Amino acid sequence: MKRRLNYPMLRRMIGGLLVLEGLFMIVPILVALYHGESTLVGFITAAGAAIVIGLCLARPQVQSTHMGKAEGFLLTTLVWIVFSLFGLLPFMIGPHGVGLSSAFFEAMSSFTTTGATTVPADSPLLCYSIRIWQAMMQWIGGMGIILFTLAIVPMLNSSGGMQMFNAEVTGITKDKLMPRISHTAMALWVVYIVLSAVMALMLWIGPMTLFDSICIAFGTLSTGGFSSLPADSEVFNSTYVLSVIAFFMLCGGLNFANIYRTAIGKWQVVKKDEVARTYIGAIAVFTALFAFTRLFAGNVHCLRDFFLLPLFQVISIITSTGYLAPGFAILTPFILLLTFCMMFSGGCAGSTSGGAKIDRFIYLCKYLKNEVRLCLHPNEIFSVRVSGNVVQRRLVSKVIAFMCLYGICILAGGLMLAAMGLPAVDSLFSSFACLSNTGLGASVTGYGDDYLTIPEGAKWVLSGLMLIGRLEIFTVLVLLSPNFWRR
Amino acid sequence: MKIIIAGAGEVGTHLAKLLSNENQDITVIDDNRDRLAALDASYNLLTIDGSPTSFHNLRLAGVARCDLFIAVTPQEHTNIVACGMAKSLGAPCTVARIAHYAFMDPANKATMERLGVDRLIYPEYLAAREIATSLEHSWARNWFEIHDGQILLVGVMIRANAPVAGMQLKDMAANQAIHVSAIRRGRDTIIPRGNDYVLEGDILYITTTRERLDDMLRLCGKVKRNVRRVLVMGGSKIAIRLVDLVGDKFRFTIIDNNRDACLRLPEKCPDARIIHGDARDPEILEEAGINECDAFVALSPSSESNILTSLSAKEYGIAKSIAEVEDMQFIAQAEGLGIGTVINKKLLASSTIFQLLLDTDSSTSKCLALSDAEVAELEVKPGAKITKAAVKDLKIDRSITLAALIRNGEGMLVGGNTVFMPGDKVLVFCLQGSLHKVDRLFN
Repeated sequence: MKRRLNYPMLRRMIGGLLVLEGLFMIVPILVALYHGESTLVGFITAAGAAIVIGLCLARPQVQSTHMGKAEGFLLTTLVWIVFSLFGLLPFMIGPHGVGLSSAFFEAMSSFTTTGATTVPADSPLLCYSIRIWQAMMQWIGGMGIILFTLAIVPMLNSSGGMQMFNAEVTGITKDKLMPRISHTAMALWVVYIVLSAVMALMLWIGPMTLFDSICIAFGTLSTGGFSSLPADSEVFNSTYVLSVIAFFMLCGGLNFANIYRTAIGKWQVVKKDEVARTYIGAIAVFTALFAFTRLFAGNVHCLRDFFLLPLFQVISIITSTGYLAPGFAILTPFILLLTFCMMFSGGCAGSTSGGAKIDRFIYLCKYLKNEVRLCLHPNEIFSVRVSGNVVQRRLVSKVIAFMCLYGICILAGGLMLAAMGLPAVDSLFSSFACLSNTGLGASVTGYGDDYLTIPEGAKWVLSGLMLIGRLEIFTVLVLLSPNFWRR
Repeated sequence: MKIIIAGAGEVGTHLAKLLSNENQDITVIDDNRDRLAALDASYNLLTIDGSPTSFHNLRLAGVARCDLFIAVTPQEHTNIVACGMAKSLGAPCTVARIAHYAFMDPANKATMERLGVDRLIYPEYLAAREIATSLEHSWARNWFEIHDGQILLVGVMIRANAPVAGMQLKDMAANQAIHVSAIRRGRDTIIPRGNDYVLEGDILYITTTRERLDDMLRLCGKVKRNVRRVLVMGGSKIAIRLVDLVGDKFRFTIIDNNRDACLRLPEKCPDARIIHGDARDPEILEEAGINECDAFVALSPSSESNILTSLSAKEYGIAKSIAEVEDMQFIAQAEGLGIGTVINKKLLASSTIFQLLLDTDSSTSKCLALSDAEVAELEVKPGAKITKAAVKDLKIDRSITLAALIRNGEGMLVGGNTVFMPGDKVLVFCLQGSLHKVDRLFN
């Protein structure tokens, strides 16, 4: 029997989600009104367009609400692109607006929590309303647009929603907390919201305005890395603020399902979690390496410089947040390569962080160890055991495939960028930083200033990489396979 | 409701999908990872990999906080042990699937309760009961008596000779004898409206009352024919149960191709004739007296043989053919080929459990599952939305139809002008997955 993709259902879902995005824009509209900013027109246009088009798309009834795997992949990818397309409007409209490619880059960078920017920090475009919108986009994208929808739209509480959950949530095996997908999504969002609120409160108590504390809390928990304040701002020099941010970045890199389990007292599951231990261990090792490298380079003047700044920087990179600690712009080659390693690993699966996820590294390392031992003892049976459970062979091969694809994507992205005239190291570094959603500036290698000087075409390539990285490769790549469309 | 299902075999999987689509909280426990992975990836439920008879897994599944524990692994002993463990850990209600009649014997009821098993599902017994009903009403595909027979729900295949074939439903409604509640056309189930037509080859699910049964028979072009002699292919457990249940009403002849089984059968079915041979052989069929038989029941382990043998039996002028089809994908095909009634143990078991479930849910008192549609009997509560207006003004969703009601113990059909009163029991048809919409009308 020939089966076609259920386009009417896809149209209806995207319509509904667009309306939701329009409603989100009410917040920046209010901010713009309050501060009397010129971006008001842009936000009202964008919100109006999203709501009107969304309603038009969602209005007609559909015959079949069936959503299979194929629809799940297609819808998830489309939703992220469509959200960016409407989210970019405020960046374009208005007296300080930027071009289409920059605006798209900006929106995609926010939603995928990459945090790379093509707009100079002192640009008049970055007014209050734009900054809160950036923060909100990161915050929604961090946990996931689909996951947010699953929590609040009962219509998705079916196998169709399940497919979308699988396509969006990060990790090798999807961690379900409760039988119903909407309850799982709700639990994860509650954890996320509570953590964000606590963090905003803690920053507010410290010397920070309410606006900045909310923006930074959103950018930190989502491990996005856009901040409403320039990195060399006075506030960032406070030990208290740095510690708070570092702690919550650390939380953003943990598995949210396990944070929830800890909160409700289900210790027996969390206790066995090898991934979180490795994550913390990796941070400790990298911090030590950073600290001593700096010590020997003679950049250290006090204990804070020795311990807190490297810790902050390591957590910021490994969780793919991409904040720069004060005075960290100058990187030695060793630190640069360590940064590469950390960008690759990322945080735990099921967190808001990017990268390939520590879980996969654990699987891979254990598998490699087995392969080496197998050379000596060909008849012995070795299994990959994580957190006390034997991992199925199929999962291990999926992880290996993921890692290969990850490498290929970085290389392919780097090649495209180099073809557009970027220096070799920068091409690879930017391609990597975007795929891993870290968003560290290309300036680390000394080329140009951040992403400002990147050619127009390269912005689209990088935006694509961010999306591929955020949806963990397979969701997007499957759409490029001819098999997906041939049916 | 929070439901834990132990065993992801065919019954467990079917049940899990069914209940998950009904927005219940489902947790499935099984020790087969591959089967769980398939379920977990595409259905809205939680899976636990491991034995259902492990305290650890049962605790992990949250047995203490569940509303219903269902054990449907293929091994009855596992099921009983799992139920016992679940009960002792705090499950309020447990259901076990069994494979021997002894467990169901009323004499052993107290023992079973002590073991912690509240309800039993014996698929072979359910199948035998289903066959017995369809033998009694040979012209119908399905026959359900609701509320002590006050209301009848009958499935009939419409042939070219039926007066209703080609009629529009609103023309039929004029005589008020019957209420066409659902139509099965090919693979689809339709909840019909006034402007739908009845086509040849449709299976109509008709709600009616006993007094109007003759009108209905005439409209559908059916003739009552009493079944007396029944030929059974395969001396399976179902056959033994069947003879035990209705051996006094019908004359059974059982054909089985296993000599040892044949030698043991007379002990269990003293009233039946036993013939050793292959029922696929026409000579054996003729020897067994197929020409004098009124019905043919195929219960061999092979679905294919059952379907094909039933078809060849029809050529001998059998009034009713019944085939056990255990391969789910063949069911629709078998129905399309003109086999009178198709029996599937797994579907029967899961729909019975589904009924149990709705029984524990106080708002619904009875439910049947017909392929893609469900039938529920609900009581109207004071102040429910449904009491606010006449049926035609209620703006009822297209996937729901109200078929009949019971007021003061008397059954009547629902028409456009019917107004419901608190305390009425209403028979509702809805498409699978829309039972929750019905709840909204009644609460």
